[in-house]
Amino acid sequence: MVKDFRQLLNRDYVILDGAMGTMLQAAGMKMGEIPEVLNITQPDILIDIHSQYLRAGADVIYANTFGANGYKLEGSGYSVDELVRAAVVNARKACRITGKEACVALDVGPVGQLLAPSGTLQFDEAYEYYKEIVVAGKDADLIVFETMTDLLECKAAVLAARENTNLPVICTMSFEANMRTFTGVSVPAMALTLSGLGVDALGVNCSLGPKELEPVIAELSKWTTKPIVVKPNAGLPDPVTNKYDCPPEEFAELIKNLRKYGIKIFGGCCGTNPQYIKAIADMLEKEGNIPAEKTPPAAAVCSATKVVALSEPRIIGERINPTGKKVFKEALLNNDMDYILGQALEQTGAGADILDVNVGLPGIDEKKMMVDTVQALQAVVDVPLQIDSTMPEVIEAALRVYNGKPIVNSVNGEDETMDKIFPLVKKYGAAVIGLALDKNGIPPKAEERFAIAKKIMEKACAYGIPKEDVYIDCLTLTASAEQEGVMETLTALNRVKTELGLKTVLGVSNISFGLPNRVLVNHIFLTMALTNGLDLAIINPNVEEMTGAVRAYKLLANIDKNSVDFIKAYANAPLIPKIDPAGKNAVKEATPDKKQRDDCGIDGRSGLEAELYHAVMKGLKNEGALTTQELLKTTDSMDIVNNILIPALDRIGAEFEKGTLFLPQLIMSAGVAQAAFEEIRKYMITNDSAPISKGKIVIATVKGDVHDIGKNIVKVLLENYGYEVIDLGKDVEYQTVVDAIKEHGAKLVGLSALMTTTLVSMKETIELIHKNKLDCRIMVGGAVLTPEYAKEIKADFYSKDAKESVDIAKKVLG
Amino acid sequence: MNGQIELTDLDYHEAARYLGYGQNEIDADTLKLMRQCENEIVSQVRPRGIYRVFDVVVRQEGVEIAGTNLILFGESIKRHLANCDRAVLMAVTLSDAADRMIRTFQVTDMAKAVIMDSMASAAVEQACNRLETEISRELPQYYQTFRFGLGYGDLPISLQRDFIKILNADKLIGLHVNESSMLVPTKSVTAVIGLSREPVKGQARGCQTCNMRDICKFREKGGHCNG
Repeated sequence: MVKDFRQLLNRDYVILDGAMGTMLQAAGMKMGEIPEVLNITQPDILIDIHSQYLRAGADVIYANTFGANGYKLEGSGYSVDELVRAAVVNARKACRITGKEACVALDVGPVGQLLAPSGTLQFDEAYEYYKEIVVAGKDADLIVFETMTDLLECKAAVLAARENTNLPVICTMSFEANMRTFTGVSVPAMALTLSGLGVDALGVNCSLGPKELEPVIAELSKWTTKPIVVKPNAGLPDPVTNKYDCPPEEFAELIKNLRKYGIKIFGGCCGTNPQYIKAIADMLEKEGNIPAEKTPPAAAVCSATKVVALSEPRIIGERINPTGKKVFKEALLNNDMDYILGQALEQTGAGADILDVNVGLPGIDEKKMMVDTVQALQAVVDVPLQIDSTMPEVIEAALRVYNGKPIVNSVNGEDETMDKIFPLVKKYGAAVIGLALDKNGIPPKAEERFAIAKKIMEKACAYGIPKEDVYIDCLTLTASAEQEGVMETLTALNRVKTELGLKTVLGVSNISFGLPNRVLVNHIFLTMALTNGLDLAIINPNVEEMTGAVRAYKLLANIDKNSVDFIKAYANAPLIPKIDPAGKNAVKEATPDKKQRDDCGIDGRSGLEAELYHAVMKGLKNEGALTTQELLKTTDSMDIVNNILIPALDRIGAEFEKGTLFLPQLIMSAGVAQAAFEEIRKYMITNDSAPISKGKIVIATVKGDVHDIGKNIVKVLLENYGYEVIDLGKDVEYQTVVDAIKEHGAKLVGLSALMTTTLVSMKETIELIHKNKLDCRIMVGGAVLTPEYAKEIKADFYSKDAKESVDIAKKVLG
Repeated sequence: MNGQIELTDLDYHEAARYLGYGQNEIDADTLKLMRQCENEIVSQVRPRGIYRVFDVVVRQEGVEIAGTNLILFGESIKRHLANCDRAVLMAVTLSDAADRMIRTFQVTDMAKAVIMDSMASAAVEQACNRLETEISRELPQYYQTFRFGLGYGDLPISLQRDFIKILNADKLIGLHVNESSMLVPTKSVTAVIGLSREPVKGQARGCQTCNMRDICKFREKGGHCNG
């Protein structure tokens, strides 16, 4: 008989079962064995364990399916479908035998592989593993995802359940004493993300005992209105005996103390047994439960590791956007992810709380680019992202792979747009920006913009999107063209904030279009908007006056208590000299004294050429960039590369080979050359000249290998010498390498592998290249590689280090 | 046991050797970056370790870890565990935070990323040493061999996945293996330590069992990786 778990949630409390692994080990299961195989080989053991839990008082029993996924069952001799079905049958039998009308849960743990970027498992692959198990378990009454430590994996799991079954879903994660999971997920990030994804209940299981979990549960209760699940271990294990230290009565007593946090669902994890469940059941029967307070959590967005609450003004960095930026457009066309990541880290370093991500450009596959960008960004920055596109399919693709709760930018007051975007916002649990305009454009008067805002809010609520997740942009008009509109914007903003109680957002920079001294106008307007209640300022955070205006506002508005953040930002800040367009001052600062210059050998160069040569030799990045800017006014870029950068790098390289200089110093010099190249590239793009290229080289860390620092060092060095490097990243499919060589007509490819096991992938990749008869030479490198093996797998060159890869490139490409 | 391992200061000398300095003095710029990296690792990375003690049974094909379905194949591990009636299986990871830091610095400052990478490698070794000390403290009645890693000699690295499973290391310390038997997070170590009531031969690691010996950059410079 199928029971409805959602009805069960109407009760004051729900009791889950206790540990399965502990019970199976007690029944004689060997360590390392696949527990789910017992579902078929020894069903009686399972039926007995389930029955014990049912008699102890469990309302929900977890079928023995925790590790029944395609990855963990490899080599077990059974299919996911067989073992999962058998598990559910065993659980149902136990219900029948005991006469208990309990719910049977399909219990699902992590796949067992770490997701990218740290691991090699892709989001879609994780989704497929979960899809297989939830489909096999469709006869259960609900699905439980538990012991999760990666929020993105939770998301893949929940989406697989929601998209392939109609079953209720519980999701619980495991937190350590530092209030984080192993992958760094914070409690509020879990709560915001999973609540948004529409799970039926969420909470914590495993890792710690009920006592140690108290701060985690206390925090969780502040961040969700969903029913909370608590399934702790029986205390902490003894380091020698591995026995847990918290007996059943004490366990129940500790749980009793946790009821004040409004927990709905109680159970036990590792080390617990039916006695623990009985103790909880007895305690709850005697003491009753304490209902949760259902105050909605504050407006907030998050990544997996960082939550940004909108309880104070926040900065959204606007720089990841090609509009009006030649260099950025070029980077998108060349798939230059490092450039985009650099833009991101520059903004977060300057004080951005959230980053807007817009990669729309004619001629590129925006959907693919958006997904790649979101994933690459989340691998290096921890701030939440704002997904900015006009195309619903691009937005949805990004929402799927986004780890956390993002903002969608944007909808407007037109029903058609809202009907396309709101279902996505609801399904993936995002926040959304509503622009106060409609098919008639931006209304001139505050009154009308307010009316559109209200319409957006009402429609969002009708789609089930919480009001806290709707942010209104009252739209900045250009002061030089529509001066009378400036105050209308601010009036509308103020009304939206105070009368509708919605969070507000504003792109600020447009205000000064066509005026001189734009920064002045921008930051004064920003301050006016903040005073009128602006929550989210979309600005260029690298402009000190803008970020500074927000910091100063927070200080003056008594938000930044005791001026802590303000002082932190400015107390020890060195006085940064203005970048002087003529470059004179900066270069003067960088000028070393004569003796130092002689020491590093400027080889007969003088003036700026000597400065740049010296900067490379000494690893002085800023000086190198500034000097290059200056040199470009008088010197051909190719001459800079051939006559200054390469000779300097050659000399450093020679010293490295001799053993008088070491890897960090080599790379510091390479970093200067890289900065110089960046200046040259900007110069060429702004002047519509063809970029420097001495030939194209494709590089990749082979399939299965995630250790790519060696390959990245090679990349920097090759670029320093003027080669155009197409970097395919790590864990690269064989075919992808072949495709890239073909697409770019590359004459040289570099493959890297760290491990003996991934040398096989290197061999396979090379075979595929040869099979395709590509006119492309192959160089290989990596810690365990030998020249002999390189030869054996038919590579053309063995490169013992990054320096040698440059020598090889010179040989092949000149 | 499973739990956090506290590291307060890192071994610059060890990191410098990974960077190819040999016995040469570390230059001032690198040293400065090493200090920064040390601060970041110590403040943001939470190394975790786990070990379990098992009886071992020597067989024709290798060494069986009693009470589990794991057999450590090969002659090298048989030699390593000769005269040992028990063995410790251990695993240590610096956690994902270390990988993330290395990844981020590769965008902003490659030199710092390279230094961070070697400082993190030094940190894992130090965390292993800590765990080993704890093992000696818990098991004072035994002599210990050195840490024999999977992939040393003819001990197949493909056992990594079963090894992790036996220790329940994915669940207990967040350590995983990918399909190439590579540990993720990458700054992680798994190893076998033999326990014997008699003094053991394999107390120090040597180059003889090392499969890097022919291409070892340390040996090239006349040194070895063990200090």
